[in-house]
Amino acid sequence: MADVIQMPGVAEQLKLIAGLRWNLLKNSLQRKNNRWDLIGIILAAGGSAMMVLGLCVAFYMGAYFFLTRNRASWMSLLFWAIFLWWQAVPILVAGFGANFEFRNLLRFPLSLRAFYILGLGYGFADFAAASSLCWIASMMVATAVGRVQLLPVMMLASLLFILVNVTLERLIGSWLEKIFANRRARELLVGLFVLSMVSMNFLNPALQRWGDYGTRPKIVHLVPYLSWLPGTLVGNALAAASDANSQALLLTVGGLLVWLGATSGLLWLRYRAQYLGEELSETAAPSAGKRGPRRQAASSVLPGFLSPPVAGVMRKEFHYLTRNGFSFITLILPPVMVMFFSMQFAGSNSQIKEHGLSPQAFFPAVMAYLILILLSPAYNSFAFEGHGIQSYFMAPVCMRDILVGKNLFLVCVVTFELAISLGVLIWRIGFPGFPLFLSTIAAAAFAVTGQLTIANWSALSFPKKMEIGKMKGQRNSGVAVWTAFGVQILIGGIATIVLLAGRWFGSSWLPVVVFVGLTAAALGGYVASLDPLSTLAERKKELLIETLCR
Amino acid sequence: MNEIAIRTEQLTRRFGALTAVDCVDLRVNAGQFFGFLGPNGAGKSTTIKMLTGLLAPSSGRMELLGLDFQRNPIDVKRQIGVVPEGMGLFERLTGSEYLHFVGRMYGLDGVTTEKRTAELLEFMQLADREKTLIADYSHGMQKKLALAAAVIHGPRILFLDEPFEGVDALAAGALKALLGRMTERGVTIFLTSHVLEIVERLCSHVAIIHQGRLVAQGSLEELRAGIPGTEGEKKTLEQIFLSIVGQSGGEQARLEELTWLT
Repeated sequence: MADVIQMPGVAEQLKLIAGLRWNLLKNSLQRKNNRWDLIGIILAAGGSAMMVLGLCVAFYMGAYFFLTRNRASWMSLLFWAIFLWWQAVPILVAGFGANFEFRNLLRFPLSLRAFYILGLGYGFADFAAASSLCWIASMMVATAVGRVQLLPVMMLASLLFILVNVTLERLIGSWLEKIFANRRARELLVGLFVLSMVSMNFLNPALQRWGDYGTRPKIVHLVPYLSWLPGTLVGNALAAASDANSQALLLTVGGLLVWLGATSGLLWLRYRAQYLGEELSETAAPSAGKRGPRRQAASSVLPGFLSPPVAGVMRKEFHYLTRNGFSFITLILPPVMVMFFSMQFAGSNSQIKEHGLSPQAFFPAVMAYLILILLSPAYNSFAFEGHGIQSYFMAPVCMRDILVGKNLFLVCVVTFELAISLGVLIWRIGFPGFPLFLSTIAAAAFAVTGQLTIANWSALSFPKKMEIGKMKGQRNSGVAVWTAFGVQILIGGIATIVLLAGRWFGSSWLPVVVFVGLTAAALGGYVASLDPLSTLAERKKELLIETLCR
Repeated sequence: MNEIAIRTEQLTRRFGALTAVDCVDLRVNAGQFFGFLGPNGAGKSTTIKMLTGLLAPSSGRMELLGLDFQRNPIDVKRQIGVVPEGMGLFERLTGSEYLHFVGRMYGLDGVTTEKRTAELLEFMQLADREKTLIADYSHGMQKKLALAAAVIHGPRILFLDEPFEGVDALAAGALKALLGRMTERGVTIFLTSHVLEIVERLCSHVAIIHQGRLVAQGSLEELRAGIPGTEGEKKTLEQIFLSIVGQSGGEQARLEELTWLT
């Protein structure tokens, strides 16, 4: 029989968990890197506090204006803004990553009630909730100053609104946790998210082309249905109180209570499922799978002159690209961006018509932009290796083979993407003439070969781990970003000078010759850099292994 | 005289002020099944990492199959296979893709790699998971795959860091049989494990590292002979280990403090 005589109360459990969180934070600062992070956190916290305080003033002024001008129902706008902030920010901050920290508490002997209350406590502890509470408080002050007789209704409606928000946010979070526990679902959603962000770019051109400003926008027809959502209900409750309409007041407060009942009930069911041991593991059961015919190895279609390690790395890079939803979708970006830019800034169909850029200016500018996007992963090319990085150092190969394999694969991808984008460019804005076409291609070759050497150095010196299917924290290290930025500005500057020199001397073929020469020089530099980079890799292997296997 | 497979001289690795491995002199003959033991944090994994090229030593010398590691890293790596701590797998490849990748990295031709990949997957009972990503493998399956990758090129020395951890009894039996056959053919196996019964059953020779220093090395009989005890009593490896690292009897005193539990 265990010695546990009496379970700690909910308040005691909350205190214990708050203490646990504090100790975790305190202990994490003992690491030097985390102390640097702390400075970043303090700076970010200062900026966030300024934003929250600034918006407190805005919410105060908005609420005061609506209430004193007898437009209490317009308070809905302010509550809608808070509602959207409260619900959307936690999802974006979670970054499509499964977060099991809260569920981990289940290994302790907690009651379901305590687990539920702890869940709500976690809900109040995030930034979106804290800032929303500040803004609601500032609106209450505005009510007390502007229309004190509405304060009791404001307090009641706000309380219900807060409870609805926190339970809804936890409910959504709990469902997302369940969905994101599955790797494939996580990757698919990240892909859809990126696609939806890209699609936003086309909203304006689409509205310009197909928008009908003679009639009311269709979205206006949706407004009456919004009146049954929490943000509008709070505004309507205040309007009813302002008009002394007790029936409408009861109806709106009742509406908020129904929302609270529904979200609380559904959240209870979700937490109950977790409490009873819901299985979120995605590890496949060890049952026998169906064995399909063996596929032909991809390396068998690779050119025979490649050494086995280089071919092996290229094949591995291909598999990783096709299994990384985010990277795979970014391959759609270049031709899509060419379409977008040409709709906006150039060609006969552009929105700015005769003010559009000429093909002579547009062609090299778009190519430079595409190279900027496509070469960026090279500056952290080991990001997704994870524990696999050890394989490179255990195998009897020089790092030069690994780098060549990775670079060759990237060059293939860039060539493929640029070819498609060039096709789209020619279709949209016309052929710019042979000299400019060839000089653009030669400049692209120079930009790619020129960058690869520095990119390899950056990848070995400033690695940063990334994980497929996650968005939070998935970026190159700061030094790698600035290195890429500096190199791209330098190469862009050189290319611009060469193109302008061609115009200055009146020779349209001069840039082609210069860029071919620069490419040859950059290629020579690249080949010469491979052995020193192998030596560097040997020196940096502990950093690479520690960073990527963490 | 036996060929020496692994020889280290004054092998040392420091991390700042901490000396994780301190002047270790190892001798492992070719064809030995060698167990490398030590308590947590003793320096086992650091030593294995140095011997396999994952970590550079601060000082000292390593010679594998007569080749100086620092001078001939590629030639040495060509002849060794490793299951490192963390297993070193590319999780976004399938099992067969990973084995194919490793085969190519060791310079095997495409046909040989394909053949050995199929045979190893079959032996490790992973063939029915050909299209499953390694990320979706269980821990035991990942371990079996890491072992398959370590032997695909037919190494002469095999380094195994906790090879049986998480592997089920059936698979462990098959793996032990495989490793036994490999030593019969002259392959040297250098193994670390916390399960002393496994080491005792498999290994002919053992070294014990404690606080970074090599405190014992030799055949099991030699180590037994060095431990005082009753005449004729055959000491287990656990008794030898506890006696050498100075923990014997200490746990009894500590247990007595836990009166509420015992």
